[in-house]
Amino acid sequence: MIELNNVSYTYPRTVQPALHRITLSLEKGRCVMVTGPSGAGKSTLCLAASGILHHEYGGKKEGSVVIDGKNVTDYSSLSNLAQNVGVVFDDPEAQMIFTTVEEEILSALEHRGLSAAVIEERLAGIMKITYLEELRDRSPHNLSGGQKQRVALAATLALGNDILILDEPTSELDEHATKRIADILKELKSQGKTILLIEHKFSQFREMVDTLIVLENGRITSGGLPDIVLKDDHVRGMVLPDFSVVKKNTGPAVRNDPAISVEHLTHRYGDVQALSGISLTIRKGEFIAIAGENGSGKTTLVKHFNRLLAPTSGDVIVNGKNTKQCSIAELACDVGLVFQNPDHMFFADTVREEIAYGVKNLNIENGDAIIDAVLHDAGLTESADLYPRWLSRGERQRLGIACVVAMQPSVIVLDEPTTGLDGYEALLVIDLLKKLQEKGHTIIIITHNRDIAEHCADRLITMENGKIISDTGGM
Amino acid sequence: MAEILQYVHKDAFLHRLHPYTKIAFILVVSLIGITATNLVFLTLVVLALLAVAAYSRLLAESLQQLKLILVMSIIFILITVITMPNGDILGYFIPQGVPVIGGLIPITSGGLEIGLVLTLRFMILIFAFQLFLVSTQPRDLVNAMEKAGLPIDYILMFIIALRFIPTLQIEGVRIHEAQLARGFNPGTGFVGKIRSVAPIAIPLVSNALLRSNVLGLTIDMRGYRTGKKTHVRERVLVSRDYAVLGILAIAGCGFVALVLAQLV
Repeated sequence: MIELNNVSYTYPRTVQPALHRITLSLEKGRCVMVTGPSGAGKSTLCLAASGILHHEYGGKKEGSVVIDGKNVTDYSSLSNLAQNVGVVFDDPEAQMIFTTVEEEILSALEHRGLSAAVIEERLAGIMKITYLEELRDRSPHNLSGGQKQRVALAATLALGNDILILDEPTSELDEHATKRIADILKELKSQGKTILLIEHKFSQFREMVDTLIVLENGRITSGGLPDIVLKDDHVRGMVLPDFSVVKKNTGPAVRNDPAISVEHLTHRYGDVQALSGISLTIRKGEFIAIAGENGSGKTTLVKHFNRLLAPTSGDVIVNGKNTKQCSIAELACDVGLVFQNPDHMFFADTVREEIAYGVKNLNIENGDAIIDAVLHDAGLTESADLYPRWLSRGERQRLGIACVVAMQPSVIVLDEPTTGLDGYEALLVIDLLKKLQEKGHTIIIITHNRDIAEHCADRLITMENGKIISDTGGM
Repeated sequence: MAEILQYVHKDAFLHRLHPYTKIAFILVVSLIGITATNLVFLTLVVLALLAVAAYSRLLAESLQQLKLILVMSIIFILITVITMPNGDILGYFIPQGVPVIGGLIPITSGGLEIGLVLTLRFMILIFAFQLFLVSTQPRDLVNAMEKAGLPIDYILMFIIALRFIPTLQIEGVRIHEAQLARGFNPGTGFVGKIRSVAPIAIPLVSNALLRSNVLGLTIDMRGYRTGKKTHVRERVLVSRDYAVLGILAIAGCGFVALVLAQLV
């Protein structure tokens, strides 16, 4: 269905090719999964395989892409290509154009030259297979990440194409939401769809993947039957990382005095009870993981630690200070918060300036030496003069952490620090956090990843419906 | 979070009207709002719009705009009082007792009245457009505009501009929080707000540009621009629409009569 022959591609105004001599064949009814580190060229491969690259992008192109027996350059336009290929991009928000779920799917169906009766029938079928029936009239900004991703997939299915290309459809989703997407894709494959899937989470898709391809620096470094490809230790480490190699804290790092005490904390957003009666003591030097489904209150809880949210009732005491009596700026010296999407913070021209921003805000002395040390710890010394948004996702994630670490808060809170990273990149982040713990920082991570939560943290707190339902491993 | 100008799914009076009927409604109401100068009459029009909102179960959505309207009205009244003194002097911004500058900037009944008229006019325009947007599904709007012969690219541009208001709002809040966590103290007042622009605006614009790339590709890959289209669940003008159009026509004629009689 899709053939890439010796495809090389270099983006305009760059020297390094994003794709280098890629040869890949996708047969009807098969599923090929492409994985690799961030910045390896996976999304570019997605654009190439769907023909978008040849139609919409400048730059240097070599080799040929054939879709359904026809060279992509022979298709007159993207709309023409869209008759054969459906693409789900990695940003679900950008793929919602209308304001209700049903409208989104219906509008995509209207452009296929079908009769009204067939459209209604297909609409019902697609809503069912993507479990969207109950969300029919909801608007996109009221949906969770997983729900948005299902709408984007449903609107693409509405096109009725046999070829589906998906670029990291589960990167921001929890385990439960990922499984839903995996179930839908399995069902589609059994209906005979051909699927090209860019993913990091191999284990959830294991059953349906026929061919596993590893892309590194724009080249295919390994490819074939998953079981054979995975015999290679390097690939295993990337696709199925083993977090049990991370050493648990053995030293005397944990002290008895509390870094944060939460007492009977309740928070309401309007009518919604987001947190109900949370009591919790976090000791200095602990490494804590907070797990739980989307919407269980994890992010709401940690936003109280630096007073981005104020308690509806109850108290939060940070390093002996009640947060009610402190400003956010004062608390920034005690608690650093790294948000899920690092792109929400970058605005400076270079990596170094980006890190310097927080240091200057807090008037920290000896700033330059601290910035150098942080750059080194985060493995970003060589990128210090680059524009932050040019970095790969893994590097940007570490830069986000570096920006907060440089402010030298005693407590560092990270929301999903390994989202969108491959095994090695995730381990780099975990290593960085472990080093910080050894230096005496208290580390709190929110994570969907059970392996990381269990193997890397000393203590695991699980939340559900605004309550702590389990708290294990603390001393 | 209050959602600005977003479609709200309901089954009520305005929702059931054809988009054309609602467009006629906006045109007539705007025309009345812009031409009339009588304070009492304009107030009645505002009340009528609120009554329509209440009947369509959209009163809460309309009242969300009051804060914006209040800020605007203060600005209007200040400007007109300062720049268009006219009629009786009701008082002074600076009391007459103050030496040298005492008695400057008189507050006049004329200036006050013009400020109030402007406020009421904007109220009418804001309420009318908002009622239209919250009660019309973008799909129906697209269909109506297509029928009216507008090119599809312009229609999509309009729809997307509206659709992404809440997305940018939410993203702005997230960016603001991320910067606060980095010790950013925007300070208060005007200077503080100006200084807070770069760390918020740069990530917001950069992310939006990235997003617009994906959005553009999505539009193409879903075939929205192919031009061929099967119309399903199309809205047709029904008796309810004709009744409303009739009332609008009568109201329009009545208004013209009032204008000619120099009553408004």
